[in-house]
Amino acid sequence: MIAAASTSFGGVISYLTSASNWRGSSGFLERILQHFEYSAETLLIAVAIGLPLGLLSGHTGRGGAVLSMLSNASRALPTLGLLTIFAILIGVGLEAAVIPLIFLAVPSILVNTYVGIRDVDRSLVDAARGMGLRPWQVLFRIEIPVALPLIVLGLRTAALQVVSTATIAAYVGLGGLGRYIIDGQASRNFAELGAGGVLVAAFAIATESMFLVCQWFLVSPGVRARAYTS
Amino acid sequence: MIRFERVTKRYADGTLAVDDLSLECADGEITVLVGTSGCGKTTSLRMINRLVDPTSGTIRVAGKDVTKSDPAELRRTMGYVIQQGGLFPHRTVIDNIAPVPRLLGASRAKARGRAYEMLTLVGLSEPMGKRYPYQLSGGQQQRVGVARALAADPPVLLMDEPFSAVDPVVRSELQQELQRLQAQLHKTIVFVTHDVDEAVKLGDKIAVMQVGGHLVQFDTPERILARPENAFVESFVGTDRGIRWLSFFAAKGLRLHVPATVETTTSAEDARRIAREAGTGWLLALDADRHPLGWLEVATLNGGASIELAGLRSLGHTFKPDDDSLRAALDATVLSPAGVAVAVDDRGVVVGVADHEEVTRAIRAASGRA
Repeated sequence: MIAAASTSFGGVISYLTSASNWRGSSGFLERILQHFEYSAETLLIAVAIGLPLGLLSGHTGRGGAVLSMLSNASRALPTLGLLTIFAILIGVGLEAAVIPLIFLAVPSILVNTYVGIRDVDRSLVDAARGMGLRPWQVLFRIEIPVALPLIVLGLRTAALQVVSTATIAAYVGLGGLGRYIIDGQASRNFAELGAGGVLVAAFAIATESMFLVCQWFLVSPGVRARAYTS
Repeated sequence: MIRFERVTKRYADGTLAVDDLSLECADGEITVLVGTSGCGKTTSLRMINRLVDPTSGTIRVAGKDVTKSDPAELRRTMGYVIQQGGLFPHRTVIDNIAPVPRLLGASRAKARGRAYEMLTLVGLSEPMGKRYPYQLSGGQQQRVGVARALAADPPVLLMDEPFSAVDPVVRSELQQELQRLQAQLHKTIVFVTHDVDEAVKLGDKIAVMQVGGHLVQFDTPERILARPENAFVESFVGTDRGIRWLSFFAAKGLRLHVPATVETTTSAEDARRIAREAGTGWLLALDADRHPLGWLEVATLNGGASIELAGLRSLGHTFKPDDDSLRAALDATVLSPAGVAVAVDDRGVVVGVADHEEVTRAIRAASGRA
């Protein structure tokens, strides 16, 4: 066992660098693409649900208590359990994997968006209304830009959760990078298992970096500097 | 003209914020709403631009009921300045000022040009336009707030405790700046404050409001200080309202005396002689250009020591008879160790002195006229 562990590091590297492992229907490229597809699809749906709800309740100040209660409740749900239930209910497939991941992603987006908008200094909103901006102009021109660091943080957190948890989609028979981990474990192929782990980690780091870059370009220097100084 | 006609605001929880308010804010004048917190002054202001709608009664601006206008369009015709400026942190100074002209349909270039004009008008330099609000001091932020309110050249300016959050020195600068702007622009300004001194300094008319949204007195600052309507106004304007009232009388009416003076080079012996001849214990020390340096107490001179060694006592402060009020002159006599206020001209050269008796006489004469 110890010998296997010590040789497995070299094994992981040779597994990762073997050209044949990158090609084909169960090759790395295909699996990375699948992983990206599940994650992106999940995130898009989660954003479509969480962002408008967070913006609306933050702007109007209504429904905050209900939203945070629902979010906390859904955070408490075990994703693996949900995955199994949906796989049983609707059969193995994309939906069975994506729906539980959506449950996982929505709360971060929703709560951060809501809190971000709520925390915008009320005097700014007052000044904006007082100068004759209409409610939607106040939201899009003032509240969202000022709340952006928190909104992007919510998206980033959600994306990371989805990317790392999408790994377990393999449990219900789907592809993605989780396949290597599950198959590797089942067949005691530590090189395959390790390669899966490395790829999932790299995928997560890439996701994180992408959001940091987005944040840098999207958030105004005036807000960015304030966030650092306060 | 802004007219409040029997305006009442009662909030959903039953609080009466404004109670049957009738008031006229004349065109081109500064009307100050003043009172303790909870007196309804801010609510009254916010009803003018419909951030709050009245429960009953009518507010008319230039004869038109404000509730008949679309709120956003109405607000674009009124500048709005709040405490701490309310500047948008994600936008540069220029992009804070330009939006209202943009909303009113000006081209981007024209709005920015106008914004730079406004920046200069409120005493800020053009390079400041590219900064973000967090890079400005409190006073500068407030100037930008005023520039933003003026950008669309609205006839009406609503100011809600705009200078409350800055230190006293900056506040006084901003007040003078507003007076300067007003002399130039003649806006119809409604100004809310809890600071009586600010109200007296800026207001053409002052409306004193009492908790429960009552208007207690609406009058000129002079008359509010001289003849408070009731015990509330009297206590609100403070125990020193008499002193404040003196700020409405020019120090010009003082009959100045020629003081007994010495220079730093004068010997102690000569100083004693000058004091003896003038019949005074205090001599005013001047430099070669006749700027006042301080007071010399003759009794502290010993032997042949020079005046410089004896040490001078501080003047307190001087006053300018052409610009200052009797309040400043009285203050100068109180602070002077000799009990004598020193009057100077614009170059700081001594033009005469006034003692307690003379200031008292001038006050009597002035209040007799009032």
